Amino acid sequence: MHDSRKFLRPEAIKRISRLGLRARHIVEGFLSGLHRSPYFGQSIEFRQHREYTHGDDLRYVDWKVWAKQDRYYVKQFEEDTNLRCTLLCDVSASMRYGRGDFNKYEYACTIAASLAYLLLRQQDAVGCVAFDESARMIVPQRTKRNHLNSIIKALELSDPREKTDLYQILRNATESYPRRGMMILVSDLFVEREGLFRGLRLLRSRGHDVMVFHVLDDDELDFPFSGPTRFEGLELAEQLRCNPRALREGYLNSLGEYLEEVRRGCSRHDVDYVLLRTSQPLDAALAAFLSNRLGTRR
Amino acid sequence: MPSFVNPALFWTLGLPTLGVVAIPVLIHLINMMRHRRIEWAAMEFLLLSQKKHRTWIIFKQLLLLLLRMLAVAAVVFLVAQPRLRSQWGNLLGGVHTHHIVLLDDSYSMSDRWADTAAFTEARKVVEQIGINASREDHPQSFSLLRFSRAALPESAGKPDMLKQPVGKDFSDELESLLGKLDVSQTAAGPMPALQAIGELLGDGAEEQRIVYLISDFRARQWNEPTELRKELLRLGESGVDVRLIDCVDRTRPNLAIVSLSPAEGIRAAGVPWFMDLSVRNYGPTPVREVAVTLGEDGHGRPSVVLAEIPPGKTATERFLVHFPDAGPHDVTARLPGDAVEADNHRCSTVDLPPDVPVLLVDGGFRARDARYLSFALAPGESVRTGVQPQIETPRFLSLKPLADFHAINLANVGRLDSSAVTALEKYVSAGGGLALFLGDRTELKFYNDVLYRDGKGLFPVPLAREEELLVDRLEPAPDVQVERHFIFRVFATEQNPYLHTVIVQRYFALPPGWQPPADSTTRVVARLRNGAPLVVEREFGKGRVVAFLTGAAPVWNNWARNPSFVVAMQDLQAYLARRPAKTQSRTVGSPLELNLNPALYQSNPEVRFDYPEQSGKPSVTVNATKSADGNGMLTASLLDTNVSGFYEVRLTRADGTAETRRYAVNVDPAEGDLTALDGEKLASRLEGVKYRYQQAADFQSTAIELAGYDLGEILLYALILLLVGEQILAWSASYHPAKRHPLVKGNAA
Repeated sequence: MHDSRKFLRPEAIKRISRLGLRARHIVEGFLSGLHRSPYFGQSIEFRQHREYTHGDDLRYVDWKVWAKQDRYYVKQFEEDTNLRCTLLCDVSASMRYGRGDFNKYEYACTIAASLAYLLLRQQDAVGCVAFDESARMIVPQRTKRNHLNSIIKALELSDPREKTDLYQILRNATESYPRRGMMILVSDLFVEREGLFRGLRLLRSRGHDVMVFHVLDDDELDFPFSGPTRFEGLELAEQLRCNPRALREGYLNSLGEYLEEVRRGCSRHDVDYVLLRTSQPLDAALAAFLSNRLGTRR
Repeated sequence: MPSFVNPALFWTLGLPTLGVVAIPVLIHLINMMRHRRIEWAAMEFLLLSQKKHRTWIIFKQLLLLLLRMLAVAAVVFLVAQPRLRSQWGNLLGGVHTHHIVLLDDSYSMSDRWADTAAFTEARKVVEQIGINASREDHPQSFSLLRFSRAALPESAGKPDMLKQPVGKDFSDELESLLGKLDVSQTAAGPMPALQAIGELLGDGAEEQRIVYLISDFRARQWNEPTELRKELLRLGESGVDVRLIDCVDRTRPNLAIVSLSPAEGIRAAGVPWFMDLSVRNYGPTPVREVAVTLGEDGHGRPSVVLAEIPPGKTATERFLVHFPDAGPHDVTARLPGDAVEADNHRCSTVDLPPDVPVLLVDGGFRARDARYLSFALAPGESVRTGVQPQIETPRFLSLKPLADFHAINLANVGRLDSSAVTALEKYVSAGGGLALFLGDRTELKFYNDVLYRDGKGLFPVPLAREEELLVDRLEPAPDVQVERHFIFRVFATEQNPYLHTVIVQRYFALPPGWQPPADSTTRVVARLRNGAPLVVEREFGKGRVVAFLTGAAPVWNNWARNPSFVVAMQDLQAYLARRPAKTQSRTVGSPLELNLNPALYQSNPEVRFDYPEQSGKPSVTVNATKSADGNGMLTASLLDTNVSGFYEVRLTRADGTAETRRYAVNVDPAEGDLTALDGEKLASRLEGVKYRYQQAADFQSTAIELAGYDLGEILLYALILLLVGEQILAWSASYHPAKRHPLVKGNAA
């Protein structure tokens, strides 16, 4: 891990109360850890020449300069983008679970804000949909730097409700954002699987590039409970009084099957799937995103 | 129905015991009430798991609960030590139990330390055995046999308790009996007690026997226990459970008076004489300046101090005693207190005559030789030697009884008639002492044929002829050269010039080249300048004979005019009169037997035995009866001599006069050797014997195994199995962080 990454761990980020500052801290921290500049790319506005070095793409060699000076130079342009990204962030009741530094909701919001900050910094257009049983807030896609505040405001919702039909929510999102772009779903995906996969298929059919950040708490993945416990559903009305040790094996098996099903479903629909623990450093999502972006370009 | 070694634990805590078993249930119920509440998102999977595993989980949990309850119950039973006594138990070995306690009460068991003693510990052990036996409600019986009773001929091995049924009040009864018991003064070992078991109790096939041998296991008895080992092996083979319970924890140092006896010499009223006192150090380190308190007829006298006694050695000190009056006199010695008290005290009694009668027989009319002897033995009124010489002719020997004379001297006796020879031989055979002085009247043939009789007669050597010792003025050596011998002890220890001035002119020579046979007791005590024997001695029967091959009167020599003659003759009488019977020490436990001359007493006279005053025992009166030996004597005996001290025997003679005899009975000093064997050493000496060894201090109720089949071992194995099962089940039903589910990696893809 780079030194800068230690400042991206949840326990460190937790100290920053404002979501906007968190996002900035994470993105800057993440970028400072990379030893390559992501700021130069293909654009209309020329920025500077640089002497050719081995490995540079021959397409960017300025042949006119070569003709005049008999030296190889490559052209560099100010990065521009036409990426339109929509963040679909789950803010339902089930996302409120968490015993660590972040609960799933906080973790998901921090990821969404960080991605928005990164995209806005690259002058991409970012929109946001915060949903539980329906789309509670829809923020249109903008490229302005101060648009981050609108996104953050949309994420800070109270009185969460259970999510019901994710397909309907995703369909509404496609209608709200008809132009092709990137759709990033951040959720614990405790929904009916059929609706999820239908929704993802719809997004793909509309030409969107889709990423799923599956956020789960450590407790949900490890189930470390012991002693008599009464579990009360956050979204379901069910209650269960049991000895958790006895149920752990069966629980983990069921969860494992579910995760495998989701992973396969995403893969089937050509959706990038990332499982995130709330205890993981928060740059994990950014790393996955950038990896996805580079993969898409090539 | 099982019984319990610790029933109080089980039944006094009866209901709580059930409560203890229910502890796991209570813990479960309390936990149910104390459950946590968690708001949970992934209820779907939890419910699914619950639905899928519900039956198996409940079964496992119930099984776990049951195992835990059983484990608690097993612990409770294990502590209570149940024993199965049902028919099933009988099949496993639980039948009528007979506890046979063999209790060592020899005086080494009085070994004391801190605020206890070996015998106190032994009593506690016996009490504990009784208490545990009385707790049993199936048939139990109890026998108690002390070592001293098994060894004593009087009690003939009669136990203190024999097959006494054990009831509810038995422990009180036993406690009362034990309160009356104390350490005896005997040195009785375990052998008679072990042998008595078989004789008293039969084979005992119908009962289970446990023999408790409660002793101090001293090295003296157990170092080479060949016979004991055989006896214990025999017991083991007959199915007896043998327990050896050791009442001492280590060897403690101890001093013991091993001897207090008169030294050699003439003992008579008004004459000072010596006594020897020996003290043995049984400890591992030397002891110094040991002061022994002495008493004469109950009055104290200056103590004797032994400068140093090395470890394991005996030191002897000689001291002078003087009693002006004739009759029985007591001498006592006492050591300062140590681990064992019984051997710190010793007593001795001496029956002093007014004078020691010595018979002087002279063959001459004037009894010249005898008179010189008489003068040497009793010089006059102002010099008292205690010897009362009586000069007689040879006829006296065949006419009068000789038994009362302490010694007989024949001086220049030519020949004797056959009855006199027979009387003399009988006298010497019975332990009397005879001295023979030769002279001009000596008939060579008679001495060789009758008195020497090829070595079978009284005279020690054959005689060849009369010889003259030639005077050799160039030879500076004295005429008489003495060996180391009691008679000449005064001359052996210092340069005494008197003996060197003795001149011998005539003597009887032995046949040339004569040597005594190899097995003969004949020994040359003094020689002449030319090497010829001058004084020879031999043993004859129980007595001894000393022959001087020259005369007593200053005719053949000038010795009678020499001062050394007086000293040598005094010591000669002491040497001849040293008969052991009257001063022999008697040991506790050995019968006190009297042999009475029927001529002096009526037929079947009454004999009263008085015990030592401190014992508090009443006197015992018996009638003397004719001896079974056929020697015509009357005998009377006291079998119970379990107490040390002065025993008095009162008799009435036929002439109506009262007679009192006094006997000193002492403990066997060897028992004072407190060297004890520990468990390991005992095991090495009892190889092959099946037994259990325990220290008395460790002997608690938990260690006692009562009759019936011991369920403890089974319960222990069951508990181990239950705990192993519980752990496996609990492990399988619990969460282990090290194991992560293969599908839940949890890392960002």
